[in-house]
Amino acid sequence: MTAARRLLALAVLCALLAGCAPQTKQVERTVFAMDTVLTLTVCGTDRSACQTAADRAVTELSAIDKALSATGEDSFVWALNHANGAWVQPPETWVDALLADALTLCAETGGALDLTAYPAVQAWGFTSGEYRVPDRTELEQLASRIDYRAVERSERQGVRLPEGMELDFGAVAKGYAGDALAAWLRETPGVTSALLNLGQSSIQTIGERPGGGPWRIAIQDPSGEGTLGVLTASDCAVGTSGGYQRYFESDGQTYWHILDPETAAPARSGLASVTVVSPSGLTSDGLSTALFVMGREDAVAWWRERQDFDVLLVEEDGSISLTPGLAESFTPSDPGREVNVLS
Amino acid sequence: MSRNAKGLAAALVLLAAGAAAFLFLHRPLDHPVARITLDGTLVAEVDLTAVDAPYTIPLEGPGGFSNTVLVEPGRICVREAGCPDQVCVKQGFISDGTVPIVCLPNKLVIQIVGGGEDLDAAAG
Repeated sequence: MTAARRLLALAVLCALLAGCAPQTKQVERTVFAMDTVLTLTVCGTDRSACQTAADRAVTELSAIDKALSATGEDSFVWALNHANGAWVQPPETWVDALLADALTLCAETGGALDLTAYPAVQAWGFTSGEYRVPDRTELEQLASRIDYRAVERSERQGVRLPEGMELDFGAVAKGYAGDALAAWLRETPGVTSALLNLGQSSIQTIGERPGGGPWRIAIQDPSGEGTLGVLTASDCAVGTSGGYQRYFESDGQTYWHILDPETAAPARSGLASVTVVSPSGLTSDGLSTALFVMGREDAVAWWRERQDFDVLLVEEDGSISLTPGLAESFTPSDPGREVNVLS
Repeated sequence: MSRNAKGLAAALVLLAAGAAAFLFLHRPLDHPVARITLDGTLVAEVDLTAVDAPYTIPLEGPGGFSNTVLVEPGRICVREAGCPDQVCVKQGFISDGTVPIVCLPNKLVIQIVGGGEDLDAAAG
């Protein structure tokens, strides 16, 4: 081998090794919005494109939060909830489109998801942190005012709620925000991938993690600290609902924030957590709540009927069931733990 | 050894060195560091493996509340908080990157990185 060829071989090797080194730029932003902390990671070949995209994402998240916040007095939702039965015009077309989609999901799940459970959420103190246990009469009264079918939409007049009813987008807003951001992030030149961690309960993955391969997402063990396992995901949304996420204790009883629209009380279906994987953030977010309310049997029946999403169910006794689509992508932390694959 | 064989041997040595360097640079970290941020601004980084004795970090957040962070060898928690809901205090200690401690009223986040789990996010 001549010196020149040796040099060439060295140059080729160097080039190959350089190719292995991470070239991807990564930009992170943390936002406090939607009653949680949101972490956005935007990756790409061009740092300034990633920064611009991440900044735009933060601005859009704030705008979505401002329109959908149930507690912000200048929001559309606040105006609707305090209109005393009058029509309220949505500020932008996306708000009406989101409402339509969310109401469709309420209908499809037979009301297991219901946007109008908000007065009950307030009564239990989950919005203020001043927790209390409403008595049976109060619960009956609250349950009688939960009915998504009473929400009226009119192209000309806007949206109307019967007096005494209130709605909020808590169960779907983060999932919707993930969809909205992902749609243009995928089209943004210089951005190759992103991970939108919208308060853990809703995660949107765009492309693959820097360095290649799907994103690695830990699924929290509902029974305490630690992970149940790791889920790999790319270009999909992951939504999780669990009783451990927000709860309080009173007289030795645990009361969590996921309410059964039928009873206006915490949903006790035997499930400890539900993780839904779907191309749609809105679906994975809203459906994880609905399936949690339904319980294992109805949730599995619902999945068999639809088959357009994947789900991982953890029961209160710790047993894990998942749909075949997740059999390869979910790895339990404890390799000896039994995982039941649904069919 | 012929010149060709020498060249091949040199190439193999280089490749091995390159592979070793690659593996070294991409080795899984096992050095949990707690990153403490207030409203997205990093205020402290604590190498949890370097903690010999427990100590506390008093914090005043943008929400107008105070948090007292307790650091112990290998783990960290919020011991006291001036916020109304006390969610951060009730969460207790964290020792890995699975779930961060978040005090929403005070915009405090404690996230452990570099724990070797090789995770991008936690759902829950």
